[in-house]
Amino acid sequence: MRARSVLWLLAVLVLLLGACAAPQQAPEGQAPAPAVEEPMEEPAEPLILRLGQNAADLRSLDPHFATTTQDRSLVDMVFNALLRYKPGNGAFELMEPDLAEDFPTMEMVDGKQVWTFKLRQGVMCHPSEVTEAYELTAEDVVYSLEKAATPERSAYAGEYNGMTFEAVDDYTVRITLETPLSPVLFYPKVANYSGGMIVCKKAIEAMGDEAFKTAPVGTGPFMFASYSPQEKVVLAANPDYFRGRPKLDGVEMRYIPDISSREAGLLAGELDVINGIPDIAWVDRMKGEGDVQVDVFGVGEVATVHFNMTKPPLDIPEVRKALAYALDRDEFLALFGEPIAENVYSPVPAKFLAGGLTREEVEALGLAYDVDRERARQMLADAGFPDGFDLEVVSSEMTGYRRIYESMQAQLAEIGVRLKVNIVDHSTMHSLIRQDVNPIVVYIAWRPNADVYLTRFFHSDSIVVTGAKPDTNFSHYDRIDDLIEQARGETDPEQQIQLWKEAQIQILEDMAAYPLHYQQQVYARRANVDYGHELVSVFALYPGIDENTTIQR
Amino acid sequence: MESTLPAAPAAPELRTQRQRAWHTFKRNRTALVGLAMVVLVALVAIFSDTVLIAPLTDAEPTPLLAPYDPTIQDPRNRLLPPSWEHPMGLDTYGRDIFSRILYGARVSLMVGILSVALGGILGVILGLVAGYSGGAAEQWIMRSVDVLMAFPSLLMGLMVLAVLGSGLTKMIIAIGIMLAPGFVRVVHGATLGAKQNDYILAARAIGAGHPRILFRHLLPNILGEVVVLASIWVASAIRVEASLSFIGLGVSPPTPAWGTMIREGVQYLTTAPWIALFPGLAILFTVLAFNLLGDGLRDVLDPKSYQ
Amino acid sequence: MIRYILHRLALAVPILLAVFTLVFLVVRVLPGDPAVAALGDYASEEALEALRERMGLNDPLPVQYVRFLGNMLRGDLGRSLINGKPINEQVAYVLPYTLMLTAAAVAIGTVLGIPLGVFTALRRNTWIDYVGRIFSLAGLSVPAFYLAILLIFLFAVRLGWFPAVGGGDLAQDPVGSLRFLVLPAFTLGLIMTASVTRLTRSTMLNVLREDYVRTAQAKGLHRWAVLLGHALRSAMLPIVSLIGLWTASLIGDSVLTEFVFSRPGLGKMLVGAILQRDYSALQSIMVIYAFFVVVINLLTDLTYGFLDPRIRHSQSAQ
Repeated sequence: MRARSVLWLLAVLVLLLGACAAPQQAPEGQAPAPAVEEPMEEPAEPLILRLGQNAADLRSLDPHFATTTQDRSLVDMVFNALLRYKPGNGAFELMEPDLAEDFPTMEMVDGKQVWTFKLRQGVMCHPSEVTEAYELTAEDVVYSLEKAATPERSAYAGEYNGMTFEAVDDYTVRITLETPLSPVLFYPKVANYSGGMIVCKKAIEAMGDEAFKTAPVGTGPFMFASYSPQEKVVLAANPDYFRGRPKLDGVEMRYIPDISSREAGLLAGELDVINGIPDIAWVDRMKGEGDVQVDVFGVGEVATVHFNMTKPPLDIPEVRKALAYALDRDEFLALFGEPIAENVYSPVPAKFLAGGLTREEVEALGLAYDVDRERARQMLADAGFPDGFDLEVVSSEMTGYRRIYESMQAQLAEIGVRLKVNIVDHSTMHSLIRQDVNPIVVYIAWRPNADVYLTRFFHSDSIVVTGAKPDTNFSHYDRIDDLIEQARGETDPEQQIQLWKEAQIQILEDMAAYPLHYQQQVYARRANVDYGHELVSVFALYPGIDENTTIQR
Repeated sequence: MESTLPAAPAAPELRTQRQRAWHTFKRNRTALVGLAMVVLVALVAIFSDTVLIAPLTDAEPTPLLAPYDPTIQDPRNRLLPPSWEHPMGLDTYGRDIFSRILYGARVSLMVGILSVALGGILGVILGLVAGYSGGAAEQWIMRSVDVLMAFPSLLMGLMVLAVLGSGLTKMIIAIGIMLAPGFVRVVHGATLGAKQNDYILAARAIGAGHPRILFRHLLPNILGEVVVLASIWVASAIRVEASLSFIGLGVSPPTPAWGTMIREGVQYLTTAPWIALFPGLAILFTVLAFNLLGDGLRDVLDPKSYQ
Repeated sequence: MIRYILHRLALAVPILLAVFTLVFLVVRVLPGDPAVAALGDYASEEALEALRERMGLNDPLPVQYVRFLGNMLRGDLGRSLINGKPINEQVAYVLPYTLMLTAAAVAIGTVLGIPLGVFTALRRNTWIDYVGRIFSLAGLSVPAFYLAILLIFLFAVRLGWFPAVGGGDLAQDPVGSLRFLVLPAFTLGLIMTASVTRLTRSTMLNVLREDYVRTAQAKGLHRWAVLLGHALRSAMLPIVSLIGLWTASLIGDSVLTEFVFSRPGLGKMLVGAILQRDYSALQSIMVIYAFFVVVINLLTDLTYGFLDPRIRHSQSAQ
């Protein structure tokens, strides 16, 4: 503590050195404006929650194009879906009806699954610049789901292949599936995540898809009010929200990409909630500030190390296993600290999703790959690399990625493997790894269920560049296609989970990928902010702000 | 300015000019302090490990001035505050910051000096030619400079780096390219002013060749200004390196660089201020050293300062 | 004179065209593409391909070039590839913030820097000179983003004098938004002050030794008349050049400051465009920058002519 205050003194000294270059403030036009009276906190003031988000700007508030944390969190407040994850807890078992009155009924017609949803009555679409408020009906729902299934109008079209939508009457929607799915796989497609969000047909048709990206119209607790580029999006309470008028009068989402500024804003009382740093040291320190609470919650984005099985010498299984034994999960974990990050032992995180493998399970199978550098060196020598070898990778400049690559570099050096890490900006890394440049790819991602994880990262169709539908299979792995497909068609949940586990055991036996840990979400808030629900896990990667959220005064 | 006093004295006087320069320099206290600081940074850069001696014994370099290997990570003790064992604390990977600062002098010095050399040589040649020759050459050079200067310099560096990819050499090239147009403009301006001087006109009148006029008469005349600017640009180059690293496109890890260290530390400015503070001070010290030295050199190199 | 200005402005057209073409080509050499940036890590190749098609990125380069150029000539900067918002609107929103910041920083740099430089030159080798020089050198040595963060923590968090983040509401509350301007403007202004002080001092020292200054002094002209009428006036050439340079580069250097202060601005928009590979935004903003820089350079050259008649004559002779 003393060291810190000395350092602060030094910092201030440095600052003064700079400031003293200017003598006493010369009178001039740009002199500091006379202090404008700080708005005093009066009860009459509207209750606006100000959220500092780690982003420079929005990308798209069309929910079917919203893929980043900052967009998902806004979309989450503006839109509803047929079903939803319970606020603050994304566990599948806790899902509840949202725009639907109840869970859908399912019947088999000619070998096809037909799901029927009854809609709530009296749900109102927000008014907008181009449309009046109007009641949401089956027509909107069908229109929205069809939009989500159209590649030109949605980033999630692939998830709605083989599905048809129809409005039976104003309050009944029927969805027909070519290939049957278990609820575990079907419900997320119509839930409040990604493509399941329901947009208001009249509004989007009146303004066009492009304009809708910065002026979204839905049915949620908050409605879009204004957007100032690079600065903020303002949402206003929806007085006609079907679960009741929100306790807050509005939400201001500010774009503040620099953590020091967000932190300063929170401590100065200019912000109520901020996106923090996923680091236990930061969390502990913020907890020490008065009036500030820190929440660490799921969902955890899983960091996995994918070995490219086509790039020598990683085509040799023993070499991949040697690399796995050289890596120390706990060392990576220490860079973030528990509980912000927690170890995982299979690509699907067992804590959040059905189908993941626990530590006990992999240990029993001898597939935990706990660090053993002596064994790693031996395996490398046996494989013909007693002096190690060289690898070259690109890494994003973003801390989350860079930290893992840099730590991996030091760890692999222990067994003589020289990893050259070239730093590029984030979107360049995403482009380059999709062009198959990296022999080792670290990927940090959240996917809503085991099928999506396994299909997109390990199905042969998803192999980068050369697959039938190139996606994110960086390992070029092709040995569990049948298991993935079998599990997808399996309607018995127990059986399905078993198949998923089998698939992942295969991955670990082949060491196609080394599961590292998941990184949870870290948000700090002023102590008087009450989200209105307990925080366990939120798919939208933010604390979840809804009609029950409030600021105590 | 009397036409009898040539701007650049002829060869026989050179020795005495050098002596006189050294004499002036010795008496300039700021310059000596600057020189001492630059030498200190250079020594630290060279002797932070045994890189000079190691090849003789065919061994890997080991830390010499630095107490630890700057790439050794100790994640379980990360963010340790300064102590006797680690005078500047440990960073986010648990690496010794003091050792990293010492090694980091290498990157800053190399980027600072080499990129200014690159930009300065390009800039002086083009600026002199443009200012002296006038006409089409001037138009072409200055309009190209206008095009390049139309890019905000930091963003130009960012784009060059984005195209080239990151790394030490690329960083030097990017900053060199970034600085060159600025040099051209200033040298061009100074040349425009200087070539109106009587002694240049006189040299022309007596039929001196263009290269002779350019390099024997014009160049020495503007050299003082170039050196003063170069010292500012070394400072700028080091700061730009820090800025580009702050954006995240610095030299490749695990090579320690002050800019990258600040980027890392800025997130922790309130949690672990030592991470960003010390590299900031190191930059301050080094830049200050070059500025002081540059000021002193200016007094010495400027022919007009001999009394 | 007017012919000269028109001549220079006419020369600006090919410069802007060259900038546009250069940027158009360079952004397409950059690794990465806007579709990936827009859809993030969730995107599948199918979705990316659909988006590329919709963005018009699959058209041949010449077609894209003519399309962008044609729109720009009509004054339409097109729409952002990422969020579909008209770029005209976004630029109109952020530009005043950047201009205010630049103007304020240049004002601080000039108003503080020149007198300080003259003063230290006159008091050469006294303790005032040393202190002034060391402080100005130190100011010059602090990276802008570092200074920005220290300023935030001292004046926003510890003292609470100024807001920590944001740019204020320029349209609704222009006076209130001045409070948001102070810290960023001083961040950039102090660094420029240091630079201007240094150059002013060194050129003043040069000029003060010139024979005509000595002659003027010998003639018994008043000290201040000599200083302002002769010395400072001729010292202004490189200083004006430097101020021009700074004004141009401040527009760009404002980037990191805008970033740290979360202040809207052209620089921040540009970095976003680079990182997200928003080609249409990138091209437009670069051309806007180029336009400003061309104008600033022209003003610099005109000031040159004003200060040194010899240059004016040789220029109008062309």
